[in-house]
Amino acid sequence: MSKRSVNIEARVLIVGSADGPALVLDDTLSFWGGFNPVNGEIIDVHHPQYRQLVGGKILCIPQSKGSAGTPGGIAETLRNGSGPLAFVLGEPDVNISIGTLVANRLYDLNIPVLEISLEQMGQIKTGEAISIDQNGTISVNR
Amino acid sequence: MVTGVLQLCELDQARLDGKLGKAMQFAMQTIVTAAHIDRADTLIDISFAHIDACFYNGRAHLDFVNYMLEHGATLAVPSWTNNGLVSLNDLSVRDPLASREMHEARELMQAYVKLGCNPVWTCAPYQLPGRPGLGAHIVGSESNAVSFYNSVIGARSNMYGDYLDVCAAITGRVPFSKLHRDEARAAQILFDVGKLPQAVRNNDLFYHLLGYVVGRKCGNLVPAMVGLSESCDEDDLKAISAAGSSAGSVPLFHAIGITPEAATLEIAFQGRQPQQVIELTVDDLRQARDELGQNSDQPLVGVALGTPHFSYTEFERLVNLLDGRSIDSRLIFYLTTSRHVFEQARQQGWVESLQQAGIKIITDTCTYFSPAVNGLHGKIMTNSAKWAYYAPGMLPVDVLIASLSECVESAVSGEVILDQWDAT
Repeated sequence: MSKRSVNIEARVLIVGSADGPALVLDDTLSFWGGFNPVNGEIIDVHHPQYRQLVGGKILCIPQSKGSAGTPGGIAETLRNGSGPLAFVLGEPDVNISIGTLVANRLYDLNIPVLEISLEQMGQIKTGEAISIDQNGTISVNR
Repeated sequence: MVTGVLQLCELDQARLDGKLGKAMQFAMQTIVTAAHIDRADTLIDISFAHIDACFYNGRAHLDFVNYMLEHGATLAVPSWTNNGLVSLNDLSVRDPLASREMHEARELMQAYVKLGCNPVWTCAPYQLPGRPGLGAHIVGSESNAVSFYNSVIGARSNMYGDYLDVCAAITGRVPFSKLHRDEARAAQILFDVGKLPQAVRNNDLFYHLLGYVVGRKCGNLVPAMVGLSESCDEDDLKAISAAGSSAGSVPLFHAIGITPEAATLEIAFQGRQPQQVIELTVDDLRQARDELGQNSDQPLVGVALGTPHFSYTEFERLVNLLDGRSIDSRLIFYLTTSRHVFEQARQQGWVESLQQAGIKIITDTCTYFSPAVNGLHGKIMTNSAKWAYYAPGMLPVDVLIASLSECVESAVSGEVILDQWDAT
């Protein structure tokens, strides 16, 4: 751990662990209709991060958006290997969590879903290196 | 009082422990996880489910239902199916032989029939007889249907997504959380539409644009609208449900004096004051219309109606607006509906007359998502904010949102004809 790291204690929604760069979304996203699970691309033309890829990222989503198709989009992108390494949420989103739970179960994955406060979310910037452990500790390395 | 510690009854515990089979165990684990996320302290029975997981979104969907079928899953409550990706009635809409995905999409729909679902294949199940009543705890999934069930019928559902909808139907249980509870159903933010000119409010596009604006502005608060005309009907409320859930997250809204939990402001807000009051202006609606698509210089290619599925009364309006005229032969004109409403319209002779006019009527599925239904590229007019919101991301289309009458007049003439809807 570098001396400039910050630790955030999260609530664990789905247990898992991950290491990778953060991608912090600037708006809510529907993982059905606004997202392509084949390549992990944001395809909502109204989204500020339109055309960005979520693959290999610790995906941080401050506000959730109810969408029935979201769990399917999540499970499919994780099955394809085009999805994030972890989800860090500003709200306890059931749909993202259940999609991850089903993918972890069906495909023997270990993708975590964590909940933190918006204040804590503000401490994470896109591109920063993130480590997540099974207990829900998020280390932000700068 | 919510303690956040889940109490399970003996039967739920047995389900969780695998004493009722592996499918039930997986379903119960999923429900218990959802309860943990929602900080619910108890589970409740449901009486109905609308299943979205039958809508293909990749191989994972098929793997999930096959796991359930192989491990002996059965359904505890009446469960109706949402749209499929393909139409089982007309395989040419999205050809199942054209790709592995379309084949799997069809296989997925058949798997849910095998599981025991009632195959209504519609995103507007509330248009069919036998819908749940006021206060019923149910599982809604497709976002417009959740919004409609909660708001217009007064049934109680959270925004359930794929897999959780099926697990709830298998167990007959959901966490007692959020919109299942009285306190979460209170309005929090008020939109006043009473000062908008009557001409603007009379245009049928108004409700689509209103839903969009409310969805954009309400954040996670429960919105109430005041000043809506008493003539506002279920088609208009459907438009608000669909537009609100596309532009934002609106699983519940209230229309004062119209919807069942909002006889008065006092009742809708459960005696509290609105956190915010927003007076809507014509500019808000103009901006919504602009955000949903511009009238580009491209030639008009077609019209798409029926998102969410066209109702019996919408069929009647369309037949009257068309008044025996035909669609310009250069254009395509798609209309999506449920099998049930299709049959009702057929009995009135409307299906035949609309087909003769050049309109292609599609059941079981919808046109706003990929892969594109034949001919859907270029400039397409629609009266649906939901179609206009989603289609440009998934299809090679350029959308122009317009009222039903503008869509009809444009389709007949072959060129875009717009009213001065916002003349004040």
